[in-house]
Amino acid sequence: MPTAENPLVRVQGLKMHFPIYAGLLRRRAGEVKAVDGVSFDIMQGETLGLVGESGCGKSTVGRTLLRLYDPTAGSVVIDGEDIATLSPEALRKKRPTMQMVFQDPQASLNPRMTLATIIAEPLDEHTDWNAEKKLARVHELMDQVGLNRAFASRYPHEFSGGQRQRIGIARALALNPKFIVCDEPIAALDVSIQAQVVNLLEDLQDRLGLTYLFISHDLSMVRHIADRVAVMYLGQIAELSPRDALYSRPLHPYAQALLSAVPEPDPARESSRKRIILQGDVPSPANPPQGCNFCTRCPRVFDRCRIDEPQLAEVEPGRFVACHLYSDNQTGGQTAGTEANEPTNKENVQ
Amino acid sequence: MFTYTLRRLLLAVPILLVISLVIFLLVDLAPGSPMSEIPLTVPPDVRQKMIEALGADQPVFVRYLLWLKQFFWIEPMTLFDHWFGTSIVEGQQRILSWQSRSPVFTIIGQRIPQTLTVVGTAYLVGILIALPIGIYSAYRQYSFFDQLGTLFAMIGFSVPTFFSGTLFIIIFAVWLGWLPTKYDTMLEVTDWSSFMQQVKQMALPVMTLGLANAATISRYMRSSMLDNMQMDYVRTARAKGMREKTVVLRHVLRNSLIPVVTVIALGIPSIFGGAIITENLFGVNGIGAALIGAIHANDLPMVQTLAFIFAVLIVLFNLIADILYGLLDPRIRYD
Amino acid sequence: MKLKTLLLGAAAAFALAPAAHAERGADGEVKLTFPQAVSIMNPYLTGGTKDIYASSLVLEPLAGLTPEGVLVPKLVTEIPTKENGGVSEDMTSITWKLLPDLKWSDGTPVTADDAVFTWKYCTDPAGGCSQATKYEGVASVEAVDPSTIKVTFSGPKANPYTAFVSALSPVLQKKQFEACLGAAAPTCTDPNNMPVGTGPFMVTGFTVNDTVSLAANPNYRDPAKPAFATAVIKGGGDAEGSARAVMETGEFDYAWNTQIPPETQESMKAAGKGQFVVAFGTLVERIEMNTTDPDPALPEGERATAKHPHPILSDIKVRTALSKAIDRSILVEVGYGAGGKPTCNVIPGPEGWASDNEGCIAQDMEGAKALLDEAGWTDSDSDGIRDKDGKKLHILYQTTVNPIRQDFQALIKDWWTELGVEVELKAIDPGVFFGGDPGSPDTFQKFYADVEMYANNSESPDPESYLGQYQCKNAPSPETQWQGENINRFCTPEYDALYATLATTTDIAARQDIAKKLNDMVTKDSMIVVPLVHRGTLSAHSNTLGGVQINAWDSEMWNAADWFRVK
Repeated sequence: MPTAENPLVRVQGLKMHFPIYAGLLRRRAGEVKAVDGVSFDIMQGETLGLVGESGCGKSTVGRTLLRLYDPTAGSVVIDGEDIATLSPEALRKKRPTMQMVFQDPQASLNPRMTLATIIAEPLDEHTDWNAEKKLARVHELMDQVGLNRAFASRYPHEFSGGQRQRIGIARALALNPKFIVCDEPIAALDVSIQAQVVNLLEDLQDRLGLTYLFISHDLSMVRHIADRVAVMYLGQIAELSPRDALYSRPLHPYAQALLSAVPEPDPARESSRKRIILQGDVPSPANPPQGCNFCTRCPRVFDRCRIDEPQLAEVEPGRFVACHLYSDNQTGGQTAGTEANEPTNKENVQ
Repeated sequence: MFTYTLRRLLLAVPILLVISLVIFLLVDLAPGSPMSEIPLTVPPDVRQKMIEALGADQPVFVRYLLWLKQFFWIEPMTLFDHWFGTSIVEGQQRILSWQSRSPVFTIIGQRIPQTLTVVGTAYLVGILIALPIGIYSAYRQYSFFDQLGTLFAMIGFSVPTFFSGTLFIIIFAVWLGWLPTKYDTMLEVTDWSSFMQQVKQMALPVMTLGLANAATISRYMRSSMLDNMQMDYVRTARAKGMREKTVVLRHVLRNSLIPVVTVIALGIPSIFGGAIITENLFGVNGIGAALIGAIHANDLPMVQTLAFIFAVLIVLFNLIADILYGLLDPRIRYD
Repeated sequence: MKLKTLLLGAAAAFALAPAAHAERGADGEVKLTFPQAVSIMNPYLTGGTKDIYASSLVLEPLAGLTPEGVLVPKLVTEIPTKENGGVSEDMTSITWKLLPDLKWSDGTPVTADDAVFTWKYCTDPAGGCSQATKYEGVASVEAVDPSTIKVTFSGPKANPYTAFVSALSPVLQKKQFEACLGAAAPTCTDPNNMPVGTGPFMVTGFTVNDTVSLAANPNYRDPAKPAFATAVIKGGGDAEGSARAVMETGEFDYAWNTQIPPETQESMKAAGKGQFVVAFGTLVERIEMNTTDPDPALPEGERATAKHPHPILSDIKVRTALSKAIDRSILVEVGYGAGGKPTCNVIPGPEGWASDNEGCIAQDMEGAKALLDEAGWTDSDSDGIRDKDGKKLHILYQTTVNPIRQDFQALIKDWWTELGVEVELKAIDPGVFFGGDPGSPDTFQKFYADVEMYANNSESPDPESYLGQYQCKNAPSPETQWQGENINRFCTPEYDALYATLATTTDIAARQDIAKKLNDMVTKDSMIVVPLVHRGTLSAHSNTLGGVQINAWDSEMWNAADWFRVK
């Protein structure tokens, strides 16, 4: 079992660069630095939220974590093994411990397979169970995610969006994983369905002791489900803080700007909320700016930002920020997330 | 599905009738005369008599109605008589080719085997070559193999069969002397040596046509594979920890085959249609050669009947492709 | 094969002696290939040479023609002449004597009734017989006795050797075709495809427009022949493919009609497997001059009729100049190679019938220019095109779509342009051009152009009927639904009068003399017809096939019984 010193997931210096081929002979002309040096830990039973605007590389982090992409550099230690360097066969054997719930439940289910086959397929591959036992497991999983057993022989297109996402979750659960990457699992769903799915995920976490990386651009939903939250900008983590601390007092200028966009449920606070409007566009990840990634848009930018690249450093206990504003009184370069946060009780979203 | 099929079939009847009339008028209005291949030494009055003997001097609608009767009543009944020994339409005139005075359906019957063996084999060979190329090219997109496959497809697309066929003849028949250039339609496969002879004489036309077929289908296969490889459910399958073989064959390939199967099914009428140039080049003398010969000789009954049969086949295989699509893809349902 | 020989019976036994060195069927298979596949084996229901040649292996006439154009007996004892009494003094009848013990391939005897039936078959008005001209002027055919056939003509017939002569007019077996008279003729599929004959081979398998399989006729009159046990005619493809199959790959022994470009001929010869042979008949590629005005401004019905003489080409000087400007040797070199030779005659053969007219062979550009100057066509406005009375010397030159003809058009256009003539070219689909549809403006008969180019030939060595084309009465016009062979609308009383004497002249030398004069009248005297190239039929045969004697007057397979394998 991982302990506080030994987290379930430890990511260090993860880089995922996609090559760009161009020209007549399709020579390598450069690369898209989708993820460029990301480090964090996730504790057993914890939910880490990963937020950022679209294109910031958060989905790539999720996929690279499970080695759906081969990372360019860095290590991903899950449950004691470095995923990034496992041989293909060992990786395949490792797969049952780590699963993923995808954004688009329609697209992520093979249209030519029935619900039962979709859920049972990993069982075919990783167990030697007989058909009866597999079917029993399928039914059990369907019960767990709240799907009627009678639907087992239907095809994905016959279900609603929310039901499909339940299938996706059931499938992810089939092999009793420890760690699940939820890649925007609710983004494609109706708002009314979103809460159901999130509650289901929370229920399952409580019951099965799951660890989540919850990727979303929906800051309210992340606030609801995550214990700690990492804010990503242009392939790097800008700030990694406990949820409440981040939401009440974001440190990184980008986190401040991002969170200022979240509407407050309390009308009094909502009226006093100041939106920080960022100027300019996100630079291309193929050609990130020198110095701080955020220096082109940062409202508090100063000279050093355009020269030195800030390192993610613990500026307050449990709070890690990559910003020169905070680097004077701190020594950088330390790995984040050494504290162990027990998951707090979270109220259900209605 | 059954009602859908039935409805489509019923709908096909008026469509085909209109098509048959259009074909008839087109062929009839096209310039030229069935006598244009007769030498100039035959005087006009003899020509006129010959035209009358063919019935080609009748008004167009009379000939059309006669053709309809012959096609839909006399010909099927002739077959019926032949099978059951009855004599329902005995002595009634069948559709006769103006060129050879033989019943058109007898000629078609003689030619279908050649066309199906040669063009059909070429189609099959084309598919068998194309699928692995398409699959592997997509799986290793932009690899050396993929570039090679693209080059192969480009050659297959852009080099006309009369050129590639002649090239093959010069290489394999003239220089190397391995293969015959003329297809012997009378060859009967009875033993090993005649079988080898059949294989040899099929080699050149099958190669020529197979190249062209493989080029098209491999491209379809490749692009369909590429489409599906990007799909989330493929990533899901990988995340499930499925073996690469399972991912590619079970998830990607099965879904990619749906459009390819449709394309293949829609291409089947063209097998029956033969390959005009290739058949001519190698003396296969199948349906394609019959059609072009009939067109040259203004053999209206032959052209009309063949064109109409192609129309029927195209309508039929469109329906089959649609039904196949429904069977293969659970998302598509006809009511 | 020995057994077969023995079975031939006593009658044939004594005939065996002189030919004892050969044996029927000893040489295996002979393979022929035709670029156009055989459609039917009955020459009376087809106009296609391919069909007629193929059927000549099976069906035979009473008499055939040698490569020299001389009559040779086939099913008869001798050629009937006035001298031997076979042709009546008044030229109104001819009597043929069948060979004794002649048998069809099915073993039944050949009788005079078969010939009588054949005549009835082809002359039945509902039958659409394509060789009806062969029986023109025949009043009756009767069987005097089982082996004597008497053909009576409706009047004196100068050339009585039309009916039952050459591959175009073979004898059919009455028994087989009895039910196929008149309207039933086309529906008799089996007899039409597998006729019973007297020739060296008989049909054993027939697939329309594809393959004819043949085997040696067990009842052939010469028990030692044919040397080949089987024969096959494979059709389809193109001339080049056929030639290649003989000359380069050696798959076939004989390829008929391998008309390919001269340079390809050379490269194929280099393979050393076979040789090309050329049958020079009477086929002449020519330019025909329109004597009537095809101006589209004229009302339909008067356009291109004798009512309006041609404004430019009516002048013989212009016609002559156009002919002089052409270098026929270059045309041959470019288009036909060994398969053609320059000619100035409409009747280029056979020897004896051809005029010695060779004046047009050498190109004479200066002479041509001088003639046009003389005719008043000068380039008064120096634009390179001659004119006269404000009218440009403009010519519309049409022919069919055909690569060689388009080469010819381009060459001739160059020469005529050099001459100061503005030439407009037009190429028409052969199906339309030769289709004879009165509704189409593009048929060669309608001739809505100034000059047109095509090839034509006499179907028999005796050109009587061929020369008949240029009579006044044969001009196509609206009144004749644009039918008629005199497409130039050439019309002189002298020609008609001289032609009339041909029909009554029986002496061969005199006939030849008249034919030469008629030939000269339409060519060098009037320049109405401008012959370009005497075209042969180029065929190829393998070096291992012996006995081939190319023949332009009869089927090329006329002596297939004598073919053998060179060992």
